[in-house]
Amino acid sequence: MDLVATKLYVSKRRPLRHLDPVLLVAVLALGIVGLATIYSATHASLVAQRIDPGFYLTKQLTFVTLGIVAILVAASFDYRFAKVYAGIVYVASLALLVLVRTPLGTTIRGSQRWFQLFGFQLAPSEIAKLALVAMLAAFLSGLRSSDLSLQDLYRATAIAAIPGLLVFLQPDLGTSIVMVAILVGILVVAGARARHLGVLALTAIVLIFGALQLGLVKDYQIARLTAFFDPQNDPQRTDYNRNQAEIAIGSGGLFGTGYLNGTQTNLDFVPEQHTDFIFTVIGEEFGFVGAIFVLLLFALLIWRAVRIALLAKEPFGTYLAAGIASMLAIQVFVNVGMTLGIMPITGIPLPFVSYGGSSFLTNCVAVGLLLNVHMRRLA
Amino acid sequence: MTDGRSGLRLKVFAALVAFMFAALTTRLWFLQVLAAGQFRDLAKQNAVRLLDIPAQRGRILDDDGNLLVTNRVSLVVTVNKQEAGSHLEEELYQLSKLLGVPAEELAERVEDPRYYVFQPVPVEADVGKRIAFYIREHQTELPGVAVVAEPVRVYPEGSLAAHVLGYLGQISPEQLKDPAFAGYRPGDEVGVTGVESQYEGFLRGTEGVIKYRVNSTGQNLAEIGEQQPVPGQDVVLTIDTEAQRIAEESLNLGLEYAHGVFDSGTGRDFQANGGAVVVMDPATGAIKALASAPSFDPSLFVRSMSTGEFERRFGAANGYPLLDRAIQGLYPPGSTYKPFVLLSALRRGIVSTTDYYPCPPSWAVPEDPLHEVFHNWTTANLGSITLARSLYDSCDTVFYPIGYEYWRRYYPPTEPPVEQIQRDLQAFGFGRPTSIDLPFEQDGRVPDAEWKSAIHKQFPKSFPDGQWFPGDFINMSIGQGDTLVTPLQLAAGYSAIQNGGRACVPHIFLRAQESDGHVLHSWHPRCHRTPFLQAQIEYVHQALTEVPVQGTAASAFVGFPFSQVQVAGKTGTAQVFGQQDYSWFAAMTQAQGKQYVVVALVEQGGHGSTTAAPIVRRVVEGLYGLSTTQFTNGGVTD
Repeated sequence: MDLVATKLYVSKRRPLRHLDPVLLVAVLALGIVGLATIYSATHASLVAQRIDPGFYLTKQLTFVTLGIVAILVAASFDYRFAKVYAGIVYVASLALLVLVRTPLGTTIRGSQRWFQLFGFQLAPSEIAKLALVAMLAAFLSGLRSSDLSLQDLYRATAIAAIPGLLVFLQPDLGTSIVMVAILVGILVVAGARARHLGVLALTAIVLIFGALQLGLVKDYQIARLTAFFDPQNDPQRTDYNRNQAEIAIGSGGLFGTGYLNGTQTNLDFVPEQHTDFIFTVIGEEFGFVGAIFVLLLFALLIWRAVRIALLAKEPFGTYLAAGIASMLAIQVFVNVGMTLGIMPITGIPLPFVSYGGSSFLTNCVAVGLLLNVHMRRLA
Repeated sequence: MTDGRSGLRLKVFAALVAFMFAALTTRLWFLQVLAAGQFRDLAKQNAVRLLDIPAQRGRILDDDGNLLVTNRVSLVVTVNKQEAGSHLEEELYQLSKLLGVPAEELAERVEDPRYYVFQPVPVEADVGKRIAFYIREHQTELPGVAVVAEPVRVYPEGSLAAHVLGYLGQISPEQLKDPAFAGYRPGDEVGVTGVESQYEGFLRGTEGVIKYRVNSTGQNLAEIGEQQPVPGQDVVLTIDTEAQRIAEESLNLGLEYAHGVFDSGTGRDFQANGGAVVVMDPATGAIKALASAPSFDPSLFVRSMSTGEFERRFGAANGYPLLDRAIQGLYPPGSTYKPFVLLSALRRGIVSTTDYYPCPPSWAVPEDPLHEVFHNWTTANLGSITLARSLYDSCDTVFYPIGYEYWRRYYPPTEPPVEQIQRDLQAFGFGRPTSIDLPFEQDGRVPDAEWKSAIHKQFPKSFPDGQWFPGDFINMSIGQGDTLVTPLQLAAGYSAIQNGGRACVPHIFLRAQESDGHVLHSWHPRCHRTPFLQAQIEYVHQALTEVPVQGTAASAFVGFPFSQVQVAGKTGTAQVFGQQDYSWFAAMTQAQGKQYVVVALVEQGGHGSTTAAPIVRRVVEGLYGLSTTQFTNGGVTD
């Protein structure tokens, strides 16, 4: 602790000079794209309801402002404290995931995943994602041997499996997919062998089938899962969403229909368009060119995260950055992939672009941590 | 720094991420570049059908909030072919008995191509409650048949202000192509004339929509969304129902009266086949009444009409009742033009209020070798008179030399030509639309040399002369020749005089509001100063107060309580080739803190004092709550 404190003192004056401006610009640009598209997705129906067309825009602007504060706060302390407190944060996040299943939590659209706090909705699964990244990074960086044994692999998997299962039962398939991706990403970077990862995948499949056979998973959960993976099963809703999203993006063509001019968008054909399906607005109104631009911004963001993992002074920083890179990458891939019809429809928002505070703030804290690692790579 | 192996693993990780992005980009390329056309088509003919929920059209109210146009509900029988299925034929037979419409006719209506297969088709409107109850009671035996309530326009005041209100009709193919009507569909109702057309944007509201998902055969699978309609705004007019009623009544009584007056010029009674009355608030330009005769019943337009019926009702035989003579009728103003001519002459220094001018029975241009004679309206020689008397006795022979003086200033023509009287008349608003907020307003005409040569080239038969003569100025000085005005233009001109030279754009719109009275748009008066001296305007106004007292309208205003209501005015008798004289009277009134300009015109109604002045008198009496007098012979003064 003393050692850490001394280092803190020394590094205190320098880190700010080592901010990563490229990372910050990418995040800010995505935030602005988000504001513009949220307005486009919502203004028509708000006007029709005689509500201020800037209703969602103003709220999102508040989240962006809070997000900037969150970035600064998450970058201000020495990230190596996170290694010390990772265990506590992890256990606390598990406790919240259990608590949200009690009457304290709120059920929205058949899924119990929120706490209602002072008029805001807090999703503990968002906290759990970051806690899992920190916990895995702390666990793996604390190992003596530089090679990952199968036993360590199972331990790491267990660390991810507990919150993953709790989230899956809410049910929130999207976040459990993100947690699996975090685990796999960090394991790859931590040096897990391909053979071991294969064994892990096999074990998972066997366990899932066993659970199904033993009736540990309830019927409706199976139904939900099969609906996710087999859209033909729920033609009424899922198929409709997917088709409308594809028509919106496809009809955008090379250059798009122009800002605020998308018919699919303005006529409300695409559901949840300001949240999970925001990418369809970009695709319809800004076309291929605009969609690629936004994907490039994400690529830039993830490239900087990987670069920070590479530059980090010690393994904890590397794993932390890699976990965050993994978390962001899977969210972009699943979200955009779902609007393009190549991924199942799950409730994952597009980072920094979708409307909503919880996910925006979590992703901002993650970016703050990335900056933190980057700033202190020399200290 | 991390060790080399960690760097390698990060590269593996980066490769995985790159693979994901490559997958997304490939798919995007496929969707947006390769298959874009197909998706664009899909977006158009989406697998979603929209069913409109019509928005309630806004109402039209008078300045006191009295309803002029509102909506009523008409019970409409609809048939949904898809729901009826194999029962269709049998159901149509039942409906035929119920509605008294042949089954073959109903079958034709059901096949109306404007409706989707899954959409209910209205086969009969305005059915009785008894039929509606019957259909609802026998719903199980009549699958797909329904009775729905649809809004239609209704006019609580009957034909009152019909020209102002206008009517609705089906949108035309030309309008559908017009970007101003974006969002309209074939079969939509749209304002055709009057306020209904002018304020279509306020009145229409926004249709609501129910979204259905349908399969390839058009079968309704599920409702997936609904947007409530936004009702149209109520439009409140400046029109005062009472003023409008008294104007229309007086106009009709005047026409009726004139039909019994013998015209010595043609040897038969006056035709008096049409007319108009304008009541305007000179201070703001607000139109309190705008009457045109003959009129029509706007509720006729609620249902469709055959071409033959349309011609029979609204054609020449009935005197074109759809024509709004107040803003679309073009007439020579005759002597009602003189105050404006005199103000021009005063402004240009041609005459002076302190001098006397001879008023002989006739006058000729001094240098005219042909010695063409211009007559006064009376054969009496009034001797040397003031300009004021030249107005209230309407002496033409005082005005002819004034007109000739404009010629002397004009000739020989220069570039630009000296056309002082035209500029001054245009300053009063003649020769161009007043910009009243009603569609199809006419321009009127202030002729000049350029116009005369152009119209001659265009219509050499109707206008055999292309050259500008002294006579053109001389005729203009008494409001004849090629001069044309609308009754509204004249009212606007007199309003400027009553207002001390400040001219206001006439308007009919007061505000647009939601049905709960929340105001969304309101009118702001648009007024400007005319370039005439206050003192000269007051001189003319003062002279015009003598017209109903001892001038040309004295006979029509016998017994009028001038101590209670101040009335200044001017008669006019316009000559129209091949027809009986047109009768004009324009009045400026003031009392009880209110002021009105009232203008009446009667086509083929004789002298100004014969028909128009008594009409105006009756309107003024009504406006100020005086007891109204019967029509009596107003005399035959100009």
